[in-house]
This record gives sequence, structure tokens and C-alpha cells, in this order.
Amino acid sequence: MTPTDRDSLMLPTRGKGYGIFTIFVATWLTVVICFGILGKISNLPILEHTARNLYFHVPMWFTLMLGWFVAAFHSLRYLMTRKRMHDVRAEQAALVATVFGVLGITTGIVWSRFTWYTGTNIWWNGDPRQVMVAVQLLISGAYFVLRGALEEDRLRARLAAAYALFATATMPFLTYVLPRRMESLHPGAEGNPAFSQMDIAPEMRWIFYASAIGFLMLGWWIYTLRVRFRAAEIRVTERSH
Amino acid sequence: MQVTLDTLSAARDTSIALLDPNAAQQIPQGIERAMLASDKLPVVLAVILIIWLGLLFLLFRTDWKISRIEKRLNEGGDKA
Repeated sequence: MTPTDRDSLMLPTRGKGYGIFTIFVATWLTVVICFGILGKISNLPILEHTARNLYFHVPMWFTLMLGWFVAAFHSLRYLMTRKRMHDVRAEQAALVATVFGVLGITTGIVWSRFTWYTGTNIWWNGDPRQVMVAVQLLISGAYFVLRGALEEDRLRARLAAAYALFATATMPFLTYVLPRRMESLHPGAEGNPAFSQMDIAPEMRWIFYASAIGFLMLGWWIYTLRVRFRAAEIRVTERSH
Repeated sequence: MQVTLDTLSAARDTSIALLDPNAAQQIPQGIERAMLASDKLPVVLAVILIIWLGLLFLLFRTDWKISRIEKRLNEGGDKA
């Protein structure tokens, strides 16, 4: 390891702002969960209370999208600058995105199973968005398989960065564009923008926005935490050689 | 039991359509009886719990790995 490599893994000291941010995120999401459970909803037949899942299931996907955009940004920066910190950041952003994606698909499976598929025992219902998101998660999984398969640091960082750009390029289509072209349980399949004036009751809209912002901030917190940990881990491992 | 294309297109307004209307007539059994109680509120609990447990898992894994770094640092304390 050359000295420049080590320097590029130096992180700024955790500042006061970061501490305030973490407390803010924790408080924000706690309030959102309370409002999500207690708030008023338009109690529709079949949907009933499960309408509240909008506040928790959908932000998972927003966080997945943000995660992959961050991963793509740092992958691109890695290819341009070859600074190792960008590789670390890209990997951890992809990891956070994938974890939130898995949570999103699992919550979706449970929601649909006990809402539209009661009495049918259908867990995997072949909803286009569900299937395509599963494909996206497999593409994400391949990113980590690729990383795990390569021993040499620079080669791994370079190939993973190129692959991350591909994985992010497919993401908007598989999670957003294509599913909206097909019949689906999800709103927006009729050609209207999802979350338009008609799709969501006004009293639910603000909780949903707050929840989306909350989970995006939580994702950012976990991501920065993972980056700090991973940079420390690499520095400890390589010093002991 | 069958979800035909017909019922699927009838389900365009997904908030009010059920994919298998016959299923709604049956008395829920087993796990469904628990999940469908109190206007399906337990489904919301299940969704929140999945997210909570998933994030806890990530937290525990990170915690475990940080412990490993700390151990390494303590072992090579003199050299560092």
C-alpha cells in the first residue's frame, strides 16, 4: 500500500453536526411511525388499515434508488480519480440500497398476501413490479458476488465500479418505468402518475412525504456509518501486514 | 383459487377490488385469522417489524465487525 492510498482513506473527524443529524433522524422517524399508526386514513374496503403500509413500504424503494445513485456517483468518481475512498463509498451505498430493497420486497410480499390474496395462499403473486424488482435485486446481488470473487484490490474496485454503473442504469427501468406499463396492484399502472391528487388522501400525503424523507435520512446515516466502519477496517487490516 | 386475467383486469382500481372475490367469503384460517383481525392492522405491524428486524440485523453485523477491528487494534497495540 502506498502512502497516498492510506491518505485517501482518511475520514474527517465525526463533527458535531453529524451527532445532531443522527438525533434528528431518530426523532423524526419515531414521530413518523407514531403518526403512521395513529393518523387518519381513508378506510377503504380490502385495503383497510394496510393503507398505512404506504408510509413504510414505499420509502424502502426510495432509499434503494438513492443508494444506487450514490453508488453510481462514487463508482464514476472512482473511475475518474482512482481514489480508494470512492470504492469504499460505492460499495457501502450499494449495500444499503440492497438491504432496503430486500426489506421493500419482503414487506410487499406480506402486504399483498394478507390484503389482495387472502384465502388464496399466494405469497409470490407475479405482480410485474415485484418480479422486476426481484430482477433488480439479483443484479444487485451480482455486484457483491463480483466483489467477493476478485482478490486484487485495484482490479476489484475498477470492475465493480463499471458494473455498478450498469446496475444503476437498469434500476430506474426495472423499478419504475417498465412496471408502470403493465397491469399491477401498484398505483400508476393506469397511466396516471402515482401519488397524484386522486391516489392519496390529503391527510395521508404529509405523513407519507415525512416518512420518505425520514427513511432517506436513515439510509444516509447507515451509509455513512458503514463507510466509517469500512475505512477503519481496511486501514487496520493493511497496517498489520 | 385461480387468479385469471379477467379478475386481474377487474382489479384496476386496486383499493377496492380483491383478486379472488370468493376468498373473501371464506372464514379466515390460521395465520390469516391473526393477520386480518382489527381491520388488518396486524399487517401494518408485520411490515414495520420486518423493517425493524432487517435494520437490526444490519446493525448487529456492523457491531460484530467493529468489535473485530477493536480486537485487532488491541492485539497490535504496541506496534500502533
